[in-house]
Amino acid sequence: MDNTHPRLRELKYTLYRIFRNPSAIIGFTLLVFFIGVAVLAPVLAPPKYAHNPYQMPHKGFSPTPKPPSEKAIFGTTSGQYDIYYGVVWGTRTAFKIGLFVVVISGLFGVGLGAVSGYYGGWLDEALMRVTDIMWAIPTLVLAMAIVVAFGRGLDKVMIALALIQWRWYVRVIRSEILTLRDQDFVQAARVMGVSDFKIIRRHILPNAIYPVLIMASMDMGSMVITASFMSFVGLGSPKGYADWGQMVALARNYIVGPPDDPLRFWYTIAIPGACIILFVLAWNLIGDALRDAFDPKLRRR
Amino acid sequence: MLTYILRRFFFLTFVLFGVSVLLFGILMTFSPERRAAAYVTTPQQAKDIPRIIQQFGLDDPFYVQYVRWIKEVSRGNMGWSLVAARPVGEAFWRYFPITLEMNLYAAPIVIFLGIWLGSVSGIHRDSWIDHSTRIFAIIGWSLPTFLFALVLLMVFYGYFQMFSPGVLSDALAMSIIDHPDQYTAYTGMLTIDGLLNGRLDIALDALHHLVLPILTYVIVVVALNMRVMRSGIIEELSKDYVLTARAKGADRRTIHYRHARRNALLPVVTVAGQLVAMSMEGSIAVEVVYNRQGIGWWLAESATQLDMPVLMCICLFMGVVFVVTNLTIDILYAYIDPRIRLN
Amino acid sequence: MTPLIRTENLVTNFYTYEGVVRALNGVSLVVDHGTTFGLVGESGCGKSVAVRSMMRIIQEPGRVEGGRVVAFFDPRDKRRGIDLLQQSEAYMEHLRGDQISMIFQEPNAALNPIMSIGDQVAESFLFHKKKEMAAAVLAAMDRENGRPPWPLGAFQRALYARTAVSPRDPLVALTGRLPLVRRWQMRLRREALRRSVEIIGKLGIPNPEAVARLYPHNLSGGMKQRIVIAIALACSPLLLIADEATSNLDVTIQAQILDLLRHLKETEIASILLITHDLGVVAETCDRVGVMYAGNLCEVANVTDLFNAPRHPYTRALLEAVPRLHQDGPLRSIEGAVPNLVNPPAGCRFHPRCPEARAICRKHFPETVHLGGDHSVACYLYTDRPRGEGAA
Repeated sequence: MDNTHPRLRELKYTLYRIFRNPSAIIGFTLLVFFIGVAVLAPVLAPPKYAHNPYQMPHKGFSPTPKPPSEKAIFGTTSGQYDIYYGVVWGTRTAFKIGLFVVVISGLFGVGLGAVSGYYGGWLDEALMRVTDIMWAIPTLVLAMAIVVAFGRGLDKVMIALALIQWRWYVRVIRSEILTLRDQDFVQAARVMGVSDFKIIRRHILPNAIYPVLIMASMDMGSMVITASFMSFVGLGSPKGYADWGQMVALARNYIVGPPDDPLRFWYTIAIPGACIILFVLAWNLIGDALRDAFDPKLRRR
Repeated sequence: MLTYILRRFFFLTFVLFGVSVLLFGILMTFSPERRAAAYVTTPQQAKDIPRIIQQFGLDDPFYVQYVRWIKEVSRGNMGWSLVAARPVGEAFWRYFPITLEMNLYAAPIVIFLGIWLGSVSGIHRDSWIDHSTRIFAIIGWSLPTFLFALVLLMVFYGYFQMFSPGVLSDALAMSIIDHPDQYTAYTGMLTIDGLLNGRLDIALDALHHLVLPILTYVIVVVALNMRVMRSGIIEELSKDYVLTARAKGADRRTIHYRHARRNALLPVVTVAGQLVAMSMEGSIAVEVVYNRQGIGWWLAESATQLDMPVLMCICLFMGVVFVVTNLTIDILYAYIDPRIRLN
Repeated sequence: MTPLIRTENLVTNFYTYEGVVRALNGVSLVVDHGTTFGLVGESGCGKSVAVRSMMRIIQEPGRVEGGRVVAFFDPRDKRRGIDLLQQSEAYMEHLRGDQISMIFQEPNAALNPIMSIGDQVAESFLFHKKKEMAAAVLAAMDRENGRPPWPLGAFQRALYARTAVSPRDPLVALTGRLPLVRRWQMRLRREALRRSVEIIGKLGIPNPEAVARLYPHNLSGGMKQRIVIAIALACSPLLLIADEATSNLDVTIQAQILDLLRHLKETEIASILLITHDLGVVAETCDRVGVMYAGNLCEVANVTDLFNAPRHPYTRALLEAVPRLHQDGPLRSIEGAVPNLVNPPAGCRFHPRCPEARAICRKHFPETVHLGGDHSVACYLYTDRPRGEGAA
């Protein structure tokens, strides 16, 4: 037996389990690709407007899309926006949306859920009633209501989603903590006089965090879907902003070409669409692999 | 049993109250001028905004305004819809049947297909069918509904010219408008009204227009149901009572369908609420892309015009839907699980 | 003694992510007709796996990979027996619950939580006694009225007549599955329920009609265990396997259940295979005892021989670890831990903990040695002696 810290050994074992799963390998490969594109965006597609790189450059105003050519390798969409540029910088937008919503709502939800689940009492009761109310309205509907109240814009969409999505994390972490709270090792730590904060940090969170990670991974995808739909209907990013959902919206009137060539403008929707699907797929595959790796039933038999 | 249902009922009324407070809270972030629009019922009234602010006391404290608002809502006055160009309450009943119709057709497909595929892949774990449903589920989750709908439209409407967007072909829609005396809208759902009016052509055409929306919707929503059922079956099959059943000589069929599946249905019933929420979200995307003028389309259109009264109305409606589905789930749960029924 | 069931070199492995768990490493034991055989050992030594392999109800990812399970249930082939491992699954389904049945360790988990007690007991009858019950229903029908109302009654009667002849008739099976049509079986179900109420009453449960309508969560652990026993006994099996049937119960209830088993052995069933880690229970109830360690059967003997003259070092250690009323000095425990069965020790699996281990124990697995008086042991301490000599 090796003498490494048990938690480190556990982590090594977890990583081994994750990477034995082919879906995880596909997922992480896709993710690495997207991260690469996002980081290298200024190199891959030098911005035309240095002060606002997310603004897609366009040559002309013709509403009819142009097919891929040497000038624009993925073609141009309605309004002559360059699809390649939009897709590259749209990757950054997607990460921005996903990370903002997941990090904010995750930290907020986990903190709140951990404290209320651990201490219980009236605080827990009140928090649960608030989340019960939040659960009554579907994410998209509530997000639309909040965006209408705050005004249009991608930043508003992100804030609205973060304001809603924390309810998931509260629910996930709380149910974990309720089972952990009464377990012997936590009771033992309490009897030994370890402070509550230390118990939460040392004993509870490391054991309860896995479902949150799975949740967060899946959420990265679903938040990008929701945000891109809101951009699609016109509540999110403005016209010309490098955002995949917004690019699909530009393509919307061109999904059906002239009668003799109905699929003529396929690239306007297929390219940004494929980006959304692959991005979401990457996170879902990772989430799925994490779920398998952390499943205690499959883990040790 | 009765006390259980009553307790749940009180809890859900509380949720509905909370939802209304939450919505009103969102509304209160608006300036009094914009909020005045919620009380406007005709375009003429829109000119007298300052008078309305004074008349309705839009500068009053929160709770005073909240009580007043609830009174108005309970009277059916929810403001004016810009998109529909009529009062919100009236417009709601115009759009609602379209959405209801689609959900009525899609829900049984989602439920039965999900339960069936989930049981099959749980029973034949790690077989080719399990792997393909798993891939299918991950793809279903990763497909944004609106994008999938657009692609289906591109292929089946654009390329094959088989299905078209909308709820009814133009010629038939015109025939209804031209002869209003020959067609009565009993329910607002075209397939049913068509049959009730003896117009088989309308019913069939409406059904034809429903094919793509239902297909989109089912593929996107069925995954959740299916995966929950699958893991439920796997979990139940590993339990001791299955071993007891085997030891008394039960055949596979009995074990899978009489023992494991009924137990595995419990978690599926618990996610039914989430399923309803997902189907509402799905309806928005499907209606926007296929241009079906239902609740979801109305919501999206109103949101782009920042038409708050409509959003308030739909959010409240979602609250009611939530309450009704949860009460149904509670009753269903008690019906399946004797532990709740008898305590 | 006539053997009832015999295993020969039974090997069962579990294919887990951690590696192959070699749970049974060639177990051979015989349960004789009319005896109670006790199988003892620490938890995780493969007792449950052994009996589950015998019934072929090993769950994924386990597989029975070698040996034979020879059953002498059918009086026609008392001599040769039937190798259960070679039979079809349908044959086994037919056998389980009818000729061999099993009681499980955890009564709280062994019953389906959402099925009524009566239905769960009745299932046994519906699986195995359809023929007799259909005949009984037919007789009752004839007694009630000469001519059944046409056509539904006639249809129902015809199906019962068919079931009474051959319960696996395809038409019977088909009509038993179709919704609504399957309601013809109502009387069969009622008959099965009547029989289950009868057997529940026989096991000393007061008010059996009411209990049959309850669900598992309404009953106490002891009651649930009685129901599990009722399920196992429904069809009066030849062999009853009790897998730690009393381990999770209170001591008083444990005594009640053991009394019940002893009583049943005299009246209802031929043999009992009792699995336990409690040597007291073994001493009280069993005729013969087998001691298992890490997937091996190390010693088999009559109960008095085993307690008076244990041979295998493991058996001795086990007996010394039992607290006695007049204990002198501290209680001894067995040094070391139960081995990991993914990488079991080479040679005799007990050697790392054995006080008398020799060089050969580390290399080779000991053959089973037959000492006198039906006493056999797998240990090198006895191999250098000539066969047949020993205990006596």
